Amino acid sequence: MTRKPADQFGTTTVRPPDFDAFWAAIMAEANAIQLNPTLEHVPTRSTAEVEVYDIGYDSLDGLRIAGWYCRPKDSYLPPPYPALLIVPGYISEPTLPKSWARMGYAALGVAPRGKLRSNRHYNPGYPGLLVNNIVDRHTYSYRGFYVDACRAVDFVMTRPEVDSTRIGVHGSSQGGALTIVTAALRRDVVTCGAAGAPYLCGFMDAASLTHSWPYQEINDYLRLYPERAAQVRETLNYFDGINFAPSITAPMMVYIGLNDDVCPPETGYAVYNAIAGPKELHAQPRSAHDAGRFWVMPKVEAFLAKHLRPARAASAVRPV
Amino acid sequence: MSETETPRPADFDEYWDAVDEELARYPAAPTLERLALPSDEFSTVYALRLTSSGPYRIFGYLSVPPGDGPFPGLLAAPHYGSVNHLPHLDDRQRYVTLILMHRGQRLADQPFAATYPGLLTLGIDDPGTYIYRGIVADCLRGAEFLHSLPSVDPSRLAIHGDDLALITAARRPGLKFAAVQAAGLLFYRLMEARERSSDYPVEEINDYLRTAPERREAVARTLAYFDPVHHVPRITATTLFSVGSGGLGGSEWLRPLMGAFAAPVEQYALSQAGATDHDWLDAWMAQRLGSEPKPRLWEVADSTPAGS
Repeated sequence: MTRKPADQFGTTTVRPPDFDAFWAAIMAEANAIQLNPTLEHVPTRSTAEVEVYDIGYDSLDGLRIAGWYCRPKDSYLPPPYPALLIVPGYISEPTLPKSWARMGYAALGVAPRGKLRSNRHYNPGYPGLLVNNIVDRHTYSYRGFYVDACRAVDFVMTRPEVDSTRIGVHGSSQGGALTIVTAALRRDVVTCGAAGAPYLCGFMDAASLTHSWPYQEINDYLRLYPERAAQVRETLNYFDGINFAPSITAPMMVYIGLNDDVCPPETGYAVYNAIAGPKELHAQPRSAHDAGRFWVMPKVEAFLAKHLRPARAASAVRPV
Repeated sequence: MSETETPRPADFDEYWDAVDEELARYPAAPTLERLALPSDEFSTVYALRLTSSGPYRIFGYLSVPPGDGPFPGLLAAPHYGSVNHLPHLDDRQRYVTLILMHRGQRLADQPFAATYPGLLTLGIDDPGTYIYRGIVADCLRGAEFLHSLPSVDPSRLAIHGDDLALITAARRPGLKFAAVQAAGLLFYRLMEARERSSDYPVEEINDYLRTAPERREAVARTLAYFDPVHHVPRITATTLFSVGSGGLGGSEWLRPLMGAFAAPVEQYALSQAGATDHDWLDAWMAQRLGSEPKPRLWEVADSTPAGS
């Protein structure tokens, strides 16, 4: 199989003329909702260095969103701390970001709607989330999902131990997409972002380039409902990371695998090219959806440390 | 008890025989429901429900290629996490594929829903109540079902996954697996691994014992029943291990396990470039199952203008 160089791919994603207005209205609706943040200390998961909390907050549609908040103990590192939002992949459950807290971050692993602990009233499942209400931008799954991630930023802003001038976002795959979207929709406060193998970018292009999950959900859906293709494309243009990217002002790092069969590198280049602010790209030959993680993670840690200035250097506390 | 070794429990065989006996008490009572969305010209995909020990109803995605078969059978043991994907098109075209959800995972989460973190230590004080006793039974039930299908060539049955794949292959030598592929072990030397890692899910053990240090011996005793080092001598198939560059997935760490096999065992040194590794592992499995490899690496066309 031969493909054109990924960086020469021309995306078919179109930015709707009312894209900004669409999201401004959604964010205004979200901003009118009280956050009602809660923290419950979890002693069984806390360590000598890190306090762990089970947290919650309110989001769109009356949903309660869960997360794990891990911060250094005062005795280990005194506040203030930079905040780091760790956003999850498509099928993975948010982990407890204790390792980031040991580096000096107040780290929040968020579980947007549909993830375990945030799925009591909304649970489209996997497969399912990607195509849930995909014919209607006003009820499409990622409308609320994106807002849930943005409100995680609002959550850390309520914490007195957090320095609100230092807020980063990091994740890979769907976490890469959420990094881009959050950096765009919360560009007033997000300091930097590191996005790996970004998903939800160039949806329709990606679906045409791969048969791997989760984009295969779109192929399956359109095989069953071919007459809905135009509606699907119209909806997805409102949720495409490529259309969020021009709004980003914070420094961004993007890393991709040049043989990624899950999130094709063509779409990784497309979103990277669309980012307006300072940016750097790491493209790893022969890597797939791992996006060169084995080699790139030290660079991710260095990038975040450069912009967020945690008290501990990453290499000093990396697990053996 | 030393934390640098995992002694084989004296009643190891009795423990696992009891698991088999309990499972045998319940008929599988399989039901298959065709799923319209993922089914296509390359395969039909079914929602499979089976009864396992407990009794507990578990779930699987079963895909069957078109035609009369029989086809090679490929069982994906469930990984640690709430979701397992549908089988990939590349596998659906070549194999009868079963992707299993054990009790507690999505689609098998009624009445028990696993928590993450939390599953790894659920009932861990007592090997009789440990959640993985039932989870292993779920995997055995899935293997038995796949082997029983007329569309599956029983001489070309394989399994891949973590410890659950190894334990399943070991507990069902009568299924005569043609190949086993293993990576990302969780239960192997876990009481030692926990001292070298603070990553989840291993960290679940640390969390548990930090809170209840007096239970360390009981936890170690329970985990010993699940350490693959005590299971692999029963495996009759050729087994391939993906080996990392060092640490908990490296060859030095795995050496005692490799030495415990009676059947042939091979190692693949991961390049850490995912596409390279995928294609190598895919080709290995395809060769053992008499099928064609499905590489995912692609070539990039030369875009240099002529004459430049």
